Amino acid sequence: MHSKKINDYVLDAFIYVVLIAMGVSTLVPFITVLSKSVSEEWAITSGKVNLLPIGFQLDTLKYVVTNNQFLHALLISVLVALIGTLASLIVTAMTAYPLSKRELPGVGVIIVLFVFTMMFNGGIIPSYLLIRQLDLIDNLASLILPGLISVFNMLVIKSYFESLPQSLEESAKIDGARNYTILFRIILPLSGPVLATIGLFYAVYYWNDYFNPMLYINSTSLKPLQLYLQDIVMNADSSSFKMSAEDMMNVPAEGVRAATVIASTIPILLVYPFLQKYFIKGVLIGSVKG
Amino acid sequence: MKQMTKKLSLAATTVILASSLAACSSNNNGNGNDTAASNAPAASNNTSTETNANLPTLKRLDVFQGEDYAAYPVAKLLEEKTGYKMQYDMLPQDNPAQKLNLLMASGEPYDIVTSYIDMALYSDYAKKGALIDLTPLIDQFGPNIKNAISQQSMDALKVDGKLYGIPNIITYPVGFGILIRTDWLDKVGMKMPTTTAEFEAVLQAFKDKDPGAAGAQNVPFTIKGDLPMIDDLVGAFGMPNPWNDVDGKLVPRVLDPAFPDYVNYVSGLYAKGLIDKEFVVNKDATAKEKFSSGKAGAIAVHWADIPGIADALAKAAPDAKFTYVPALKGPNGKSGFGANQGFDRVSFIPKSAKNPEDAVKWINATLEPTTFKELAVGVEGTHYTVDNGSYTPILPIFNDERNLANNYMVGTDEANYPQYWQARVRKNPIMFEAFDTLNNKTADSDKILNKLSVAPYLENYSKNNMKLETMAGDYTVKLIAGSEKLDGLGDFQKKFNAEGGEASAKEVNDWYATAK
Amino acid sequence: MNRNSRWKLARSNWDMYLLLVPGLIFLLLFKYTPMYGVVIAFQDFNIFSGIGGSEWVGLEQFQKLVHSDDFSRVLTNTLLISMYKIVILFPIPIVVALFLNEVRKMFFKRTIQTIIYLPHFLSWVIISGLFVTLLSPTDGLVNQIIKVFGGDPVSFLQDNSFFRSVVVFTAGWKEIGWNAIVFIAAIAGIDQEQYEAASIDGAGRIRKMISITLPGIMPTIVLMFILRIGSLLEAGTEQILTMYNPIVYDTGDVIGTFVYRMGLGQQDYSFSTAVGLFNSVVGFILVISGNMLSKKFLKRSIW
Repeated sequence: MHSKKINDYVLDAFIYVVLIAMGVSTLVPFITVLSKSVSEEWAITSGKVNLLPIGFQLDTLKYVVTNNQFLHALLISVLVALIGTLASLIVTAMTAYPLSKRELPGVGVIIVLFVFTMMFNGGIIPSYLLIRQLDLIDNLASLILPGLISVFNMLVIKSYFESLPQSLEESAKIDGARNYTILFRIILPLSGPVLATIGLFYAVYYWNDYFNPMLYINSTSLKPLQLYLQDIVMNADSSSFKMSAEDMMNVPAEGVRAATVIASTIPILLVYPFLQKYFIKGVLIGSVKG
Repeated sequence: MKQMTKKLSLAATTVILASSLAACSSNNNGNGNDTAASNAPAASNNTSTETNANLPTLKRLDVFQGEDYAAYPVAKLLEEKTGYKMQYDMLPQDNPAQKLNLLMASGEPYDIVTSYIDMALYSDYAKKGALIDLTPLIDQFGPNIKNAISQQSMDALKVDGKLYGIPNIITYPVGFGILIRTDWLDKVGMKMPTTTAEFEAVLQAFKDKDPGAAGAQNVPFTIKGDLPMIDDLVGAFGMPNPWNDVDGKLVPRVLDPAFPDYVNYVSGLYAKGLIDKEFVVNKDATAKEKFSSGKAGAIAVHWADIPGIADALAKAAPDAKFTYVPALKGPNGKSGFGANQGFDRVSFIPKSAKNPEDAVKWINATLEPTTFKELAVGVEGTHYTVDNGSYTPILPIFNDERNLANNYMVGTDEANYPQYWQARVRKNPIMFEAFDTLNNKTADSDKILNKLSVAPYLENYSKNNMKLETMAGDYTVKLIAGSEKLDGLGDFQKKFNAEGGEASAKEVNDWYATAK
Repeated sequence: MNRNSRWKLARSNWDMYLLLVPGLIFLLLFKYTPMYGVVIAFQDFNIFSGIGGSEWVGLEQFQKLVHSDDFSRVLTNTLLISMYKIVILFPIPIVVALFLNEVRKMFFKRTIQTIIYLPHFLSWVIISGLFVTLLSPTDGLVNQIIKVFGGDPVSFLQDNSFFRSVVVFTAGWKEIGWNAIVFIAAIAGIDQEQYEAASIDGAGRIRKMISITLPGIMPTIVLMFILRIGSLLEAGTEQILTMYNPIVYDTGDVIGTFVYRMGLGQQDYSFSTAVGLFNSVVGFILVISGNMLSKKFLKRSIW
């Protein structure tokens, strides 16, 4: 009994040391960017800003955050991420549930059809033509519909559904419940952790999506944050080619770019801590069974 | 059950929200009437709208800029001067050609499209019939356009004898040079170098005497990793431009007989520790960091990058002074900077435009000399002052209202624009001094024209150029850093020719023979 | 008889198929409708001529890729880097998830979880810039530590014997926290009663970790692994583009970076589609085989 306790301590110590080391090292880049966003420009240009800000100032951040285009793009991004995540979660769960019943005829083929699209796609041009034909160019729906179901996410949910005990559904079926009732009333309430995870994945996907808006959005007033961010950050990285002297003179300062990165990343970073309460284990399964 | 109804109603709300979003934004495309303008966050001017009620709203696609086109003061000026309302869209900063292609191919109804010059794209559009022939329209509605744009410029953009685009000219010949710390020169007791040998001696002194007291971090001369052809030094070996005249023929640098000499010189500098040991991993920012923190004595850099560097250096090393090294003479007495002419942007009118005539009228109105001047530099006394013919901006209003003016131009008043344009460089006196050294104080004989910058569209050259430049650049980096030896040059040249070098050279020289 | 009973099963679960309708419409409309675009890979496609008007060139685009001098080097690098990434980096997020599961202090657990997923949100441009600084032979932190221990400074990013290791390490470091999330969620889904029963039997924490938690998340592990090998030919183009330089092309140049650098994919829709198709075919074969093998030996599969 005694030795077991010591073992526990050693295990704990080991785990804590490893996790803290990881935590510290992964915090570094974020702190660097954060420091740049609140440092004076000369210190950034001369490479003096590492972990701590030099010449602390909040003007850059304030300038970025109060910029009208930034705020507008932020609003668009929040809207798209919210609606997109909800719509995606619902449709994905609805699709995953039948596909988790392998005994149903046709399910195997449909899964392969889904998996096939993870590897193969028709490319930019046919996708663009499709969106154009659906009259969705310059329409926020073009940012949601093409990514409505991520096959990866659908498979994760499906795999989770498969791991749920069969007995739950069987007893409900005996009571005469239909499948959709079982899905919405029994399965989904038990799926807190996986729905939180996939919700996070979708939210991050919609938030970080740069490609769809780049292709499908033309007017400035509908541009989401990533497009805005990419334009600002890309600006400085292409300095050697194609830029005229005017463009070079107008490149946003590195501090501004850092501040834009910070301001556009923090909102999505807040989603995870908020969702973590749904990661509390198996409480629900126990309660339903009991 | 309660939970489920809640979820369902949430889903319903979502659907409704999504569809209403769809409804309100689908108008924005301007497929029908141009109702979009009222949705765009334009600084609308009621009075001018009323007076110009008959004129259509034009739609323009332009290059990326950091601020909203419609809200920038120049937009309002142009609306007043031309009488037209304009709805602006912009291309993304990253890979703009991809989006431009999609928009052009799908026939989006833009009245004017402006993009960075890409002769391959432009001539593809022209040949595929996607552009409107401008000559008749300019004859009819464009007297100012004819006056502003030189015949030479027009000719350069002709595809199969027809004009489809209006160019914006490049306003200065020389961009890159070697910036050197003059206070370091004083500290080591040496004069500004005038030859490659003296330059090497100076770098050696920078290394030995460490005037910046940077210790192990002392870097005599830093460059960024993707620019192994160092301006000024390439000129000293007779290769100031990517293609140079060798016995009457244009030859790319890696095939130039002087190439081994250049490589020997620069790789010698590297081997002796005079060029940044880490230059291959240097990004643009890393190289600038080393110079602006006072650890490097020299840097190869564009004059437009100077303001940021100067600000940082003033704080990091308050006594620092710097200037561009003049054109260095090489072992064979050659010297010079590569000098560009030609265009940086081109504007055209797609076949799918709804209002091509009005577009030309609009362009004509903006090129009216006084309007163009106000567009370029603003109002005298408000935005700029003139002294002895040189234009000086009034800050900060010039920055706020004219910094991005060049993005609004379709063509330029070619005779006067280079003069107006220098107001932009005078925004920062240190930058202007550097610009002046490279462009105005360099002898004309040392500004060696890049012949290809005024060439018409050359198909093979355009198609292969980027690949060949990358191959040559990568190979030169390896030679300088010593991971390849010059014995392999013959093999590399064979590969270079096989990958399109030979085809390009033939095409380039067929044209060059006729152009001389 | 058998067919009959399957039909019966399908009919009695008609509402299951109804649930599938939105997903299938999505699949057909947004995934399969544009699929005709793959034929571009066999054409010399011009965007104005369209698929109907462009010239057919057969396998020319593939030959352009395979026949170039550097292809064997580039393919080898791709496979090596990708395999290192799978072998070394695939298990780490699982271990991290297991470790986090052992942490009882909720605040600590959540804080670490949140922190280690931060780098996922920063672009490679930023991360690479940071590592260039950290790994600099003159003033980088890593080399300063090496010097303190009496070693000679190493030019990690200019040395062909180190470059792949740097690529694998930084990729892991950036994505571990993010990749652990799905395993953390899977652990949260494990039935608690199993642990209670094991405790009564006197099982220690490590025993429980190995005999309950690990099997509990095995379906997720298998799923993730099969999907992971499907992207074997994508060794991290964006990452390597921001980290490499001509000196380390010998070890670091992969298919994606090669295609990008040569400008081959620039507006050359046919060639980039061909490269994509090549990746897809290899990926799909790997996923199918992975699924088959896993079905045979682990009795688990995606379908």
